[in-house]
Amino acid sequence: MTQHTIGTREEWLASREELLKREKEHTRLGDEIAQQRRDLPWVPVEKEYRFDAEDGEQTLAELFEGRSQLLIYHFMFGPSYEAGDPVNSSIADAVDGVLPHLHARDVTFAFVSQAPLEKLQAYRRRMGWSFPWVSSAPTDFNFDLGFSHTPEEGREVVEQMMGGGLPSIVDQNARSAGTDAAGYMTENPGFSAFVHEDGTVYHTYSTTWRGLEFVMGYYPILDHAPKGRDEGEAWQLWLRRHDEYE
Amino acid sequence: MTTHHVVGHDGWMAARKKHLAKEKEFTRLRDQLSAERRELPWEAVEKEYTFEGANGRQSLAEIFEGRGQLVIYHAMFNPETAGEHTSWTSEAACNACSFWLDNLNGIGVHLNHRDITIAAVSRATYPKIAAYKERMGWTFPWYSSVNSDFNFDYGVSFSPEELETGEVEYNYRMTQWSGTEAPGISVFIKEGEQIFHTYSTYERGLDMLNVAYHYIDLVPKGRDEGDAGLGEWVHRRDEYPD
Repeated sequence: MTQHTIGTREEWLASREELLKREKEHTRLGDEIAQQRRDLPWVPVEKEYRFDAEDGEQTLAELFEGRSQLLIYHFMFGPSYEAGDPVNSSIADAVDGVLPHLHARDVTFAFVSQAPLEKLQAYRRRMGWSFPWVSSAPTDFNFDLGFSHTPEEGREVVEQMMGGGLPSIVDQNARSAGTDAAGYMTENPGFSAFVHEDGTVYHTYSTTWRGLEFVMGYYPILDHAPKGRDEGEAWQLWLRRHDEYE
Repeated sequence: MTTHHVVGHDGWMAARKKHLAKEKEFTRLRDQLSAERRELPWEAVEKEYTFEGANGRQSLAEIFEGRGQLVIYHAMFNPETAGEHTSWTSEAACNACSFWLDNLNGIGVHLNHRDITIAAVSRATYPKIAAYKERMGWTFPWYSSVNSDFNFDYGVSFSPEELETGEVEYNYRMTQWSGTEAPGISVFIKEGEQIFHTYSTYERGLDMLNVAYHYIDLVPKGRDEGDAGLGEWVHRRDEYPD
């Protein structure tokens, strides 16, 4: 017999309608925040960034592929990695199917990582993804935006984390990516948005950590299911690459 | 020259941090709502619903596929009522629903490993569903509820009598509606042999489950939809002109 409160249709409906009011407030707060995000000032990108891409070298302006808005996912795949980790890979799973809809809203979506292009291409083939993925190895791009760090900085981050105990997910993801914790922590996950207007590229927005949860498509669904995320301290440890679940 | 406010990096950072405080507030409010959602009472499902799918006729219990939780996307697709004014056709589900389904297709495997089966349900007969699913290359299970009251009972299909009045009960209130179908998501849990309905959401309650929208909310132009909503721009993935 279930431990959960069971109600009649009328009782369920009364509680549901109460929650609906709060959900609507949340939706409207989301609209308001999205508007504030669009009102953020822009910063002109003064440096000439050049990436290693499938068809040779590409500038940041070229990554727009003729559209006016560019969204970049800084996929954690550092020089010492052999593969992308399951968490970053799950973010990629959630976006691959919606690219045509983003294009239809004048958005080009590209992935950028610090590892050499060959490693990124091999992993993308394995996972069957179709988005463009370029290497920032020849540029300061990922360093300037704070998503890549030197091996020395990676070691420092891990030493600092050791104080509070390294989160289990760092250890698991590092092993899964074929590197160690310090090598793994040279990278941070995040999104950056850019706009191209009259020959100038502007940086408009960046976000990281819990700011990414909205686009981890399974989280909003888990948040609507009775058991929720059901992770506790073991957050994200259940995630696997889509071809590695038992 | 852009008319947008342009600043140096330090100015941007100051504005960004201020905005971050609001974003964190929004994230925490979402955590709180998710907890409240889990505390909703459950209602027992008393009716026997049957569906037609790839495995023939199946009960609601069977389409859990052995997992404890079932999330149903109610996709608008009813060839019987397709016409000039419906967002679905005799061969294809509604364009907006197809947009949502593109969002769900790649993540089913991750949900399966959190004890969730995710499936779509529509009023179309199964052969119509199977043909459209194949066209779109989707892999999630999708069932026909043509021979059951399921869609009516969970508030996403309306009878001719209801529609005749010009107003139906949808999204927990009476509202003007002309089509036979509406979009929604319903959630069920199975404990032992008993199934409970835990949650349903409609209209903008579905926005939260659309990853592409969250991405679009991060870029300068935003959704850029105006009063017409997404109907003006969204197409089935293989029907965009470029």
